Formats: sequence, structure tokens, C-alpha cells
Amino acid sequence: MLEANGLTKFYGSFKALDSLDLLIEPGQVFCLLGANGAGKTTTINLFLNFIEASSGEARVHGLEVAENPLETKKYLAYIPEQVMLYRNLTGLENLEYFTALAGHEDYSRDQLCGFLIEAGLSEETVDWRISAYSKGMRQKVGIAIAVAKKAKALLLDEPTSGLDPKASTEFSELLKRLSGEGVAVLMATHDLFRAKETGTHVGIMNQGRLVARLTTEEIGHADLERLYLEHMRG
Amino acid sequence: MVMRIARKELLEMTRDGRFRVAGGIVVLLLLTALGLGWHRHADVTAAHEIAIAQEREIWESQGEKSPHSAAHYGVYAFKPTGRLAFIDPGTEAYTGVTVWLEAHKQNQFLYSPARDGNTLQRFGELTAATVLQLLLPLLIILLAFSAFAGERESGTLRQVLSLGVRRSDLAVGKALGVAGGLALLLVPASLLGAAALTAATADSASGGLMRTLLLAGVYLLYLGAFVGVTLAVSARAPSARFALVALLGVWVFVCLAAPRAATDLAKALYPTPSAQEFAAALAEEREAGIDGVDYDDFLEARKEELLAVYGVDEVEALPINYSGWRLQVSEEYSNQFFDSHYARLWDQFETQDEFRQKLGFAAPLLGVRSLSMSLAGSDFAHFRWFAEQAEQYRRQLVAFLNDDMRDHAGAASFSYIKDQQLWSEAPAFAYDAPGPLWAVSGQSAALAALVLWPMLSAFLAWGAAARLEAY
Repeated sequence: MLEANGLTKFYGSFKALDSLDLLIEPGQVFCLLGANGAGKTTTINLFLNFIEASSGEARVHGLEVAENPLETKKYLAYIPEQVMLYRNLTGLENLEYFTALAGHEDYSRDQLCGFLIEAGLSEETVDWRISAYSKGMRQKVGIAIAVAKKAKALLLDEPTSGLDPKASTEFSELLKRLSGEGVAVLMATHDLFRAKETGTHVGIMNQGRLVARLTTEEIGHADLERLYLEHMRG
Repeated sequence: MVMRIARKELLEMTRDGRFRVAGGIVVLLLLTALGLGWHRHADVTAAHEIAIAQEREIWESQGEKSPHSAAHYGVYAFKPTGRLAFIDPGTEAYTGVTVWLEAHKQNQFLYSPARDGNTLQRFGELTAATVLQLLLPLLIILLAFSAFAGERESGTLRQVLSLGVRRSDLAVGKALGVAGGLALLLVPASLLGAAALTAATADSASGGLMRTLLLAGVYLLYLGAFVGVTLAVSARAPSARFALVALLGVWVFVCLAAPRAATDLAKALYPTPSAQEFAAALAEEREAGIDGVDYDDFLEARKEELLAVYGVDEVEALPINYSGWRLQVSEEYSNQFFDSHYARLWDQFETQDEFRQKLGFAAPLLGVRSLSMSLAGSDFAHFRWFAEQAEQYRRQLVAFLNDDMRDHAGAASFSYIKDQQLWSEAPAFAYDAPGPLWAVSGQSAALAALVLWPMLSAFLAWGAAARLEAY
């Protein structure tokens, strides 16, 4: 579903991403680990076509993203570290707007409320303005947008950083459910524990390169931490 | 999709305190301006109607006197203010709307160079046109400077672009959103204005409906240009703050600096004499005559013709009153100088106006200001139209009185007395208002600038949106 072939990005002479090869099938959750500046966000931005690749290609559902910027986004949903919403609109209005822009203008109010409640918001909060929402609540609206959009692939950029453990766990549960339904997930994260828990695959990035990749089944949490630190010293 | 985006923009706007406050202030000012304009217009119109009615009565009941005394007694002519002048009084405050018509001279309309005024003066007089020309662009900037730059800063732009929204849809939707916000503020005010227009008394500037529609079109184009430029700058600006500062710079240039500079430049390039200089030059040339032919030569030549026509040798033998005839000759001699001097002065003012119109390509305000005054019938061209008719009438009236003396005074000459019967037979002044097409015919540069600007700004906004960056 998500595919990178020799994907490379330079900023001037700085190599932010160095020939990344990646293939994430439906149902897989690929967690990208690495320090700040390792190239995780660059990878996600390349899949979103927010930035232009210096060489190589990113594909979504078999389509090259730079050539099909609108078509490929139909399959994608994007949840950044901070899901940014319109402060003067309610949670429900935000969801309605974003799903309408994604091409789903036919949802009823009840259906939209359903997506928000499913994402973990309580019923009375859907009509609150976003300015009254906590960060966790906003992330939930982001998830509801992804679900309502019926995305086939999720691009998550440290989606749980700053969330309390309960919200973080709820997020993981949702992610598991979505991957169970055949959604491919690419998640950049600092959270080794969360990666081990929710990921099917883990990749460690350092200075723009994917230096290790393994399945979470073949490794314990302690081993993952040791491996990660080894590569960071690298 | 576009409508969905526009609806969301509008919803956000109506919940935004800044929009409510700024919009409220602008609407309040606009309504105040309309009210003041309406009041002024009603006052002036009522005063005119009374004055016109009384003027004729005063003329007719001036008592028994010689026709030439009646010509000195004179009459007043009043330029009726067009209905739309309550929206844009234009230059009327400076040119005046009244002229005294009497024997021997074309009285000067004091044509104040403060016409375009300095910017402070323009702010000083609150008119609907000022609000539309200066404050609405400011409101558009406040509404839309953050359209793209603000969304990019807050991150919502990335969220939107990740959904696969066409950038052009986003730009058009936002433009429509701003337009909707403005409509929300302006439609009620416009309806009120339209009601006031319909209720207005006699429409003197003919083609009132067409003028009104053209005026509305002119302002829509002007405001549309500002929406486009604002969105273009917002899409390209590195930050919302940068966009705001840049756009305020544009506003200061277009709305404050350019009009001032245009007026000063027009005066410097196409200088006009002061009232005293004008009067002195006119008197001097009248004294010197044309090609060495002064009044005495002129009179002598005409006298020879006259004597030849009647086949007599001396004026005493004429069957007509010579003094009455000579008064008319004197009029005709002077009129040549009035014609050439006033034409030269007024041509120069028109050249200044045209020059300012052309600067509308640099600052669209100058184009819209010119068109607005013209359609409201309150610009210099309309003033000149009236002044020339008034002068023609003056000549007609004076000739009527001189001719009566020539034909009927006989030996009584200046002691020849007439009464109300003659005064009531004298022609009355009837103002023939120009049509809307005449009004815009002198506005080709302003029109071209005003059509070009919205197209250019739409092109800029389109181009800027196409290159819209998520970061």
C-alpha cells in the first residue's frame, strides 16, 4: 500500500533522507524509530507530496505521489503530532468539513457523531468549540477524520507524544483495530514501548538512513531498546 | 467543494470577534455616511426647489425698469444634484452648484484645487464613497490576510492539503467566503441605500437606474481586486504577520499615498492659474483684443456692416435703437474671450482628471474614484456640462433683453422702461442632464484600469494558490 524506492531528499547539501526502500502491506503497522532529524518526518512529508523528492519515488496504492498528488491522497490519512483544527468550529463541524473536503459529503450528523464517539470522544463534547479541546481530544478528531475518510493508509507523525497513558493506550487500541481491518500504517514515534506494542514492524533510522528493520514478533522490548541505543551511538 | 469551503470560511468569520467588531464599525460608518449624505442631499434638493421657484418669481416681479437694468439684475442658475450624489458628492463641495448670471460677464465658478484634497480632508468628510473606497479594502485585508498564511502557521493547511483538495478550489472557496462576509455586511446597507434612492425626489441626473447599476459594478470590481491581491499575498507570504504588514503597505500606497501624489503631480504637470491670475489674464486680453483688433475696432467694423445693411450713413438715421444694438455687440466681443479662456482652463482641469485616471493603472483607487464621481454626476465633467449650459442661457437671456431694447426702445434708449410682461416672456433656464453613457465616455482610462485590476489580481491569486506550500 505504501512503497518507497530509493527515496532520497536533500536540503541543500544536507541529506535528510538517504535512499529509503520500504514496503508496507495492508494490515501492517510500520513504526519508524529514530532521534529528531533522523528523517522520519521527511519520509512522511514525501508520501504526502508536501515536499519534492530529490531522487527515488514514493508510491501509494501503486501510484507515484508526485505525479498523482490528488489521487494518492484519497487513500491516505495524516495525523501529525498535533492535529490542527479550526478553533472557532466545533469538533463535529471540523469533522464534517474535513470529510467533505475528502469527498465524503453524504454523512449524516448521526454518522459523523458516531465516528467521533468511536474515536473516544464523549457525546456532549462533539458540539464544543475546538478551543475548549485538550490535545488528546483533538487527536481523536484526527482519528475520526481518518476513519470517516475510509483511508487505506495512515501516516502518523508522533501521534501519541504528549498524550496521557490512558489516551495513548486508547489510541493504540484504535490503531490495532484499523490495521485489523486492512489499513496500512506508517508511524514515526519516539515511544519504543508503543512501537513494540502496536507495530508489526519496526525500523530504526539514523541520519537519514534506515539502519535496521525487524518484525516486532522476533524481538523483546529490552532487546529493541538495546538495539536502538546501539544504532544511535552508531 | 468550492461552496463547502466558502461556507466554512463564512462560519469561521461570523464567529470571529475581529470580524464582528471590524465589520460592525464599517457598517456603522457606512450607514452614518449614507444618512449624512441623504440628509445633505435632501437639504440641498429642497433648497434648490424652493430657490428655483422663487428665483423665477423674483425675476418676474422685479418691477418696472429698462431691459438693460434687468440684465444687470441677473438671475441665479442652480445645478440640480443627482440622486447618486448622496453616495459620492464628488467635487460639488468645492465647485459649488450655483452661479449668478448677469450682463457683460461670465462669472467665475471658483474651482478649488482642494477638490481632490489632501487625504486628511478626504477622511474628514464622511461619505459612503469614502467608506467604500478606503475602509472596505482595509476590512478585506483584515478578513483575508491570514487566509493561507494563517492556516499554514497553525497547521490546518497541512491537514487540508493532506485530504487531496485542489489548491484552486481552496483559493476560489476562500475568495467566495470573503465575498460572502462582505455581502453579509453590505447587502443590508445597500438595500437601505437603494430604498433611499427610490425615495429620492426628482432625478436630475438622467439614466438613474443605469448609473446606479454601473456604480455598483464599479465598486464590485474594485473590491474584487482587493480580495484577489489579499489572497495572493497571503498565499505567498512566509507568515501571517508578514502578509498583514505587506498588505497594509499596499493599502497605504493605493488609498493614501497614490491619491495625494496623483493630485500633486497633476497640478505640477498641468498647472492651472489661480482665480486672480485667471481674471487678470482675461481682462488683459479683453483690453488688448485679438490680433490687434480691440473693442473699438471690433465695434467700428460691426457698425459699418450695420449701416450698410440699413443703407444709412450715421447711427442717428437707424430705424433701431443703436444703444441696445451696441450692448449686444459688446457682449459678443467679450464672449470670445470667455469662450477661449474658460475652455483653456477647463480643458486643463480635464487633462488633470485624465492624468489621474491613467494613474489608476498603478493605484486602482484613482480609477474607481473618478468613475464613482462621474456616475454620481458630481465630477468636474458634469460641472462643466452644467456651467456651459448656464453660460449659454446667460447669453440667450442677455441677448433677449438687448434685442428688445434695440427693437423697441427708439429714442428713449436707456430711459425705455418695461414691466413684468417682458420679464415673464424671457426664457427660463432648463437644465438638460447628461445620460450615463456620456458620463462614462470620458472615463475610458479609469474603466480600463478598473477592469484590468481584478483580472490581474485573480491571475495573481490563482498563480499563488497553485504554488501553495504546506510548510
